Amino acid sequence: MTTAPWPYLDVHQSRTHEPTPYELKLAATLEEVFTKDGHELADVVRGLNARQVHAPDGAPWTEESFRTEMKRLGA
Amino acid sequence: MTPSTPLSTTACTAPSADDIYATGLRNQWHPVVPSRFVAPGAMRRVTVLGEQWLLFRRSDGALAMLADRCPHRGAPLSLGKHLGDRVACWYHGVEVGTDGTVSSVPGLPGCNLEGRKLVASLPVREVGGAVLAYFGDERHPEPVDLALPDPLTDPDADAFLCYAEWNVPWRYAVENLLDPMHGAFLHHESHTMYDGDTTAKFRIRETGRGYFFEKTDQRGVNFDWVELCRTGADWVDLSIPYPPSAGPGGPFGIVGMVCPVDRERTGVFFWRYRRVQDWQRDTWRFLYRTVIEERHWEVLEQDRVMLEAMPADADQRENLYQHDLGVVRLRRLYRAQAEQQAAAG
Repeated sequence: MTTAPWPYLDVHQSRTHEPTPYELKLAATLEEVFTKDGHELADVVRGLNARQVHAPDGAPWTEESFRTEMKRLGA
Repeated sequence: MTPSTPLSTTACTAPSADDIYATGLRNQWHPVVPSRFVAPGAMRRVTVLGEQWLLFRRSDGALAMLADRCPHRGAPLSLGKHLGDRVACWYHGVEVGTDGTVSSVPGLPGCNLEGRKLVASLPVREVGGAVLAYFGDERHPEPVDLALPDPLTDPDADAFLCYAEWNVPWRYAVENLLDPMHGAFLHHESHTMYDGDTTAKFRIRETGRGYFFEKTDQRGVNFDWVELCRTGADWVDLSIPYPPSAGPGGPFGIVGMVCPVDRERTGVFFWRYRRVQDWQRDTWRFLYRTVIEERHWEVLEQDRVMLEAMPADADQRENLYQHDLGVVRLRRLYRAQAEQQAAAG
């Protein structure tokens, strides 16, 4: 057994993978939408679509597709 | 725990109040490392309260914590071999089970060491992704009741654990948490603690499990209050507002605990939690992983840099003022408990 190195200082402890360009763009846009458009689900879907940041299949977001995608990304 | 349990780094000597104050209080639970640090079928050597221990996880996930000392000649068991449900010392092959009982002495079968519980083993629990262990002294080997931090058991709260290792005495890390006013200065440039007054009056409010240290005239703006909870383990709870960019769900909370590693080193455990459900929960988790965790880390690094730079005699030459009431109270409480534990030993 090797001795664990000290100190353990790891910025990212919650990630399961390096974010993809799509995920980074979605996160940045969500922050902007939350800041400028509001916190309701309808605000979020409208804000993302207005900014042309679409779902992975290229289709505009619906409330249902946004919920499903967040469930996948936030699991 | 057997009488041979090492209670301090100086063998055969009961720890003094100064030792206990410096290396951590006994007779309570402390966090050790994140659970993920000990994979199924793996072992990990850890230092806690200045003592060497071995975390040992069976392939079915069951976890044990043994003194890292072979009962034969004192070699570190952590250098040995994982045999599934026991560990074999590398030096002479003596096998020790997860409860500390010698199961086999291969060099001399039938030897009177066999069947005897000669290695200290600690009660362990896993909570919110961290290993907690009970560190009793000789008079208190049975674990005290542990009431878990409410945010970690609340089904409506969702938490991420952040663990870090700092070169600071454990008490400095706790004192930092009982000092909300530093948020408005040290963390002024951060994404969550930029707002609020830089002057404040504080008060202490007693609770059945510890005390609140809180601003009298501002709440919900910065790091405005903290609750110290002593529920078998020591932990703090505090709340910090998120900016609108973090989405719905209100402020995030922190449950903080520390692991006293030795006189100079501390493991800090911060569970960042938020009361969110459904899509709001999923969205927060996504944003946390993608962008927020890194910003929180930068804030934590500000604490580490400041605390690691504090002189060794920092708490010997101070001029405290009203904002330090929470820290003063904490020190009195810990000092009194260290004196009690030393006297009882």
